Amino acid sequence: MTKSAYPMLTRRNLMLTSAMLAGGAALGGLSKGAAAQVKDMDMWYWGEQELPGLQKYVNDSVAKYKAASVKPMLQDTAVVISQFQTAAAAGNAPDVQYLWNGIYHMESVWLDYLRGLKSLIKPDVLAASNPTMLSHFGGDIYRTGWYPLPMFWCYNKTLFEKAGLDPEAPPKTWDELLVACDKLKSSGVEPLGGGIQDGYWSEWYITHSLPQQLDSLGEAVELFIGDKDFNDPKYHEHWVKLAELKSKGFLNKDMSSLELYPGIDLVVAGKLGIGQTIGTRLPVDSKATGGKIGYMTMPVFGKGKLAAMPVVDVQGLGISTNAEDPAAAAAFLEFLQSPEQLKAFWEATNWLPSNTTFDSSVIQDASVRGLWENWGLKPNISNVTNLMPGQFYERAAIPTGQQIVAGSITGEQAGELAAKTAKEWKDFNPDMVENYRKWVKDLSSPT
Amino acid sequence: MTPSSRLTPYLYVLPLVALLAFVFGYPLLRIFEFSFKMVRGIDGPWIGLRNYQLVLGQSLFWESVLHNLQLLLAIPVMVAISLIVSVLLSERVAGWKLYRIIVFVPFVLAIPIVAVVMKRMFQFSGPVNELLRWMSLDFMALDWIGSSDVALWTVMILIIWRESALGIILFLARLLSLDESVIEAAKIDGANWWHRLWHIILPEMRGVIEFYMVISVITMLAAVFSYIYIMGGGRGGPGTSTEVVELYIFNALIRSSLPGIASAASVMLFLVTGVLIFLLFRVRRRAENF
Repeated sequence: MTKSAYPMLTRRNLMLTSAMLAGGAALGGLSKGAAAQVKDMDMWYWGEQELPGLQKYVNDSVAKYKAASVKPMLQDTAVVISQFQTAAAAGNAPDVQYLWNGIYHMESVWLDYLRGLKSLIKPDVLAASNPTMLSHFGGDIYRTGWYPLPMFWCYNKTLFEKAGLDPEAPPKTWDELLVACDKLKSSGVEPLGGGIQDGYWSEWYITHSLPQQLDSLGEAVELFIGDKDFNDPKYHEHWVKLAELKSKGFLNKDMSSLELYPGIDLVVAGKLGIGQTIGTRLPVDSKATGGKIGYMTMPVFGKGKLAAMPVVDVQGLGISTNAEDPAAAAAFLEFLQSPEQLKAFWEATNWLPSNTTFDSSVIQDASVRGLWENWGLKPNISNVTNLMPGQFYERAAIPTGQQIVAGSITGEQAGELAAKTAKEWKDFNPDMVENYRKWVKDLSSPT
Repeated sequence: MTPSSRLTPYLYVLPLVALLAFVFGYPLLRIFEFSFKMVRGIDGPWIGLRNYQLVLGQSLFWESVLHNLQLLLAIPVMVAISLIVSVLLSERVAGWKLYRIIVFVPFVLAIPIVAVVMKRMFQFSGPVNELLRWMSLDFMALDWIGSSDVALWTVMILIIWRESALGIILFLARLLSLDESVIEAAKIDGANWWHRLWHIILPEMRGVIEFYMVISVITMLAAVFSYIYIMGGGRGGPGTSTEVVELYIFNALIRSSLPGIASAASVMLFLVTGVLIFLLFRVRRRAENF
């Protein structure tokens, strides 16, 4: 008998082998079970487009986060809302979704695509993130704040000095503004304006001016849906004021043919005295001018409770109703609000996270620090144009400003157009009116 | 021929017909369906003709229609420019092949690129006005894209400039295929340039001119979105002075979240364009019969 090439499989060896295989299988099963406990989540977001560095921050954050495996996807600007809503309608929405403020996410709330966060996120974390009043509906809150967008009027301090104006004391009232514009004009500088060709300047003008006659953000909604009347002089006075600036020759001559950002560039380049801008531009613009870009709230003409309040819009994140484990998604949002993550956000984007507990000692630029302290930490209001139905925004908010600046209509005519558009909106959207009216209740507080 | 052999050709084309029906027919049917519904998200309740009533009752829609009709005024200009340039090129002047390439360049460039460049040129402080001011023609230095009175005409200039390039190439191709012996015979008979153009060249080119005009009508009614979007600041501005029906549809769908309204306007645009094209071809056929 020849010796087998294979070792004889004894009963002992068989048992040992069987035990090893069983143990291996059990361990494999265990490790598989352990892996199943790590949640898989999707996060769709936007923002790299306006805040370079955000994508890196998100990638680093999800890599650092161990409680779940989060797969981020940067969305294209044109599909942020439609892509989410289509996916939600099909039951495939991501667990965490980027949300613009106001109506840009409220429609998804009304369609039941988003979860209320009050029962999911710790109250102190939610409040510190400043989701803003515009995320409140039916007593719940539907976003956490992610990063703020302070909105303000900017001015060139060098041009102010040249015109004999105090660069550290910008005009606070409408009359003071007219005096300042007059002096700037006399010094050979175009006093005020920017670029309105793409319409956004028109929107921002309403952002700063309409609240001056309002006592609450809810009042704005009542205007946009036609429950209050733009023909009432106090509600179109802001357009009358714009027409006044036009008639006095204080607006830059090429304003109608310039777009928003080239218009802001004029202030930075020392060719325009006063303009409208947004916080994310301030670090770069301040650096470019050696700290000569000042900021202020729009000079006051109105008598509403919201007059002179700084405006801070906030971009945010929410949890979809499709999320399989909302608690896990909420834990991830809380993780993004942790002190370490807020610091990481600043380091990656050189911009502020939306959290009142953020350690602002890291901010070197005095202008940016001042903006954070005066806009971010003090009482502020959100961008009132985020409450507008899209139809009103396109048909009234944008064209009115453009036509006043072009000299084609008066402030009163702008009021008539707005009132007519509000009525039209009601006719086109009878099913939405009630939702807006409910929203008014949540927005009735002034802050 | 057996019944089965008669069916065979249809079976061969069936896959393509099915594909076309799916790609074009299905969306078209859905658009017709949506036009009778109040759509929220991906569907909504049936509301009969309400969307059509709302669209037809809105002054902005009629303003948009008017702007489209105004753009039709560009067509005679485009035909005239195309005709003159193509006839001159067909004379084979020195360097005509190079000129032919140059005049076709605008049509090769993407509309957004052309429009962005034009927009810069026509800004109030842009090169066009700077040149006019330099020539002491300040009164002609208009706010080309910033004035509600002028903006649509500025867009029209851009459309004429770019779309004429297609006309030139089409006309030139036809001119180069003409029987030169006829033209030579006319020359010998003493016909001058004008006579040759009017009595020989134009009649020969009638077909291609009509074709170009049909294409241009479709363009002006249903394919100027890119021009308007860029030149009008993405919104048909200033105000609504350059808004056209296509942009109206876009705004209703994307910016106002009203797919039903967008569908109703689309259906009307589709039907009107279809009827116009049908009428144009009918007129042409009748002319051929005479």
